[in-house]
Amino acid sequence: MASELEFIDNYRKFLRATEVLLEPREIMVATTPSDVVLTEDDMKLLHYKPRTEKKATDIPVLMVYALVNRYYILDLQPDKSVVRKMLDDGLDVYMIDWGYPSGADRWLTLDDYINGYLNDAVDKVRKLSGKDKINLIGICQGGTFSVIYTALHPEKILNLVTLVTPVNFDTDKGLLHVWAKALDVDKMVDTYGIIPGDIMNAGFLLTDPFRLLIDKYVGLFEKMECERDDQECLTTNEQTVSNFLRMEKWIFDSPDQAGEAYRQFIKDFYQKNLLIKNELVIDGQKVNLKNIKVPLLNIMAQLDHLVPNEASIPLNDAVASTDKDMAVFPTGHIGIFVSGKSQREIVPKITSWLIPRSKSKAAEKGSGGPAKPEEG
Amino acid sequence: MTDGDGSTPHVHSELEVTHDFFELWLKAYEATYGKLIDVPAVGPTRERAEKVRKTVDTTVNLYAAWMQSVANFQSVFAEATRRTRQQTIEQATEGSPPVSSKDYYELWMETFSDTFKEFLKSPAFASDLGHLTSLSVDYQKCNQEMLETNVMKPLAIPTKTEIEEINKEVYQLKKTVRDLSRRLESLSEKH
Repeated sequence: MASELEFIDNYRKFLRATEVLLEPREIMVATTPSDVVLTEDDMKLLHYKPRTEKKATDIPVLMVYALVNRYYILDLQPDKSVVRKMLDDGLDVYMIDWGYPSGADRWLTLDDYINGYLNDAVDKVRKLSGKDKINLIGICQGGTFSVIYTALHPEKILNLVTLVTPVNFDTDKGLLHVWAKALDVDKMVDTYGIIPGDIMNAGFLLTDPFRLLIDKYVGLFEKMECERDDQECLTTNEQTVSNFLRMEKWIFDSPDQAGEAYRQFIKDFYQKNLLIKNELVIDGQKVNLKNIKVPLLNIMAQLDHLVPNEASIPLNDAVASTDKDMAVFPTGHIGIFVSGKSQREIVPKITSWLIPRSKSKAAEKGSGGPAKPEEG
Repeated sequence: MTDGDGSTPHVHSELEVTHDFFELWLKAYEATYGKLIDVPAVGPTRERAEKVRKTVDTTVNLYAAWMQSVANFQSVFAEATRRTRQQTIEQATEGSPPVSSKDYYELWMETFSDTFKEFLKSPAFASDLGHLTSLSVDYQKCNQEMLETNVMKPLAIPTKTEIEEINKEVYQLKKTVRDLSRRLESLSEKH
């Protein structure tokens, strides 16, 4: 009898959830107002409009997201927006949107992304702000790019912040690191040209198939337990579904990958682990991490199944910075950006670390000395 | 979860029987029709015929690897089912069996998730995945070449290969223009 009642209860939940899902709604993401201040092929540089009159520092922040998935995880919704929180804390925020590679982008190399688009974005931010040096925040693969960029162009960066950033790829803690070693990437790129985003997605889903393909959706239905006349609960349900659909939109908004850049990333990073050995070559130039002398904040997620901590921790020893810090938060790879902890602890950690280090005279135009936080 | 040699444990399943049958069929195919595929093509349609034959060969190779992967997954599925059953019995023996469907679902989810993670982490799976991906790309490439040679070229439809060549030219031109623009900008700033 109990099992029949349970079945009826579950069925009722399913029907209620279906009712909520069927309600018309528009899923909005990346709602923080911004201007496009630079466009180069598919790449756009966004400059967010300030949300407070009081500037915490004149030094702008450039955020660099990965080529995989889209930058707007940092601005998913108003109450879960890293960007908005930084603006509220008085930072001047820029963001690179890499766009969706197609056609001729198949030939783009890591040099094009790092010494081309990223460098042009940095120069644009420097020009608009009137500062010689800016703050760089790199996220995931964008963090790897930011590390390389800082090593190649240290004169343009004042402070470097990395979030869930892999630099040491020789680890068996993350499944992607294990699988990538057996991948014939030459054959893939020579055949596909541009690597379909769906292949990347399949790989990510395979890292935890039962949780990501079943439990996540069961969990959504589990939350739908309202009585028809319980308006407060129904409103919560609506929010739950909207949040869920926003995240679904982001997860499966997977740009294709520029073939040559993908080839180099898999071979030189995942298979040969050249970056941390200071053996990586970009456009004929060796990337020496000891060239990084700027203050460094390296942030990791303890439960990260895509970029295990072992892939990020060695960065602090590899650079020559004397002012360097690392922080590990008990959350997952995505939780770094969208969890309550992100708003309460992670973004405040970044801003409170960056602001005092952005008030040095070295940051002013025309000065090239080493940056130190202002005393007092 | 894995044996000492990194391979998945041998758990009998219905699918393994299917796989064994397929392997038998594959051996027979390779000894008979498969050999015909290796016979050099002749005559004016030689190139086209070779493309078709190669496509057949890569399809068979992909199918064989796919069957192997499915059989491996089926073994892990059987192992996860065995562990779930064992844990259910253990919990019942301890006096706290899963009562509701939710309890059972949670036990099932945790056991299956953990069992599959062990499998997915194994070097054997990484190797199989790399092999399957490689064969899948071979299949894709052969199909593309076969279609380009046998269908698109005769119908004067631009092929992917031709478009890629143009894309490469476009990329190089854009890169040259961008480099020149930067140099011009740098020169104008100096003067």
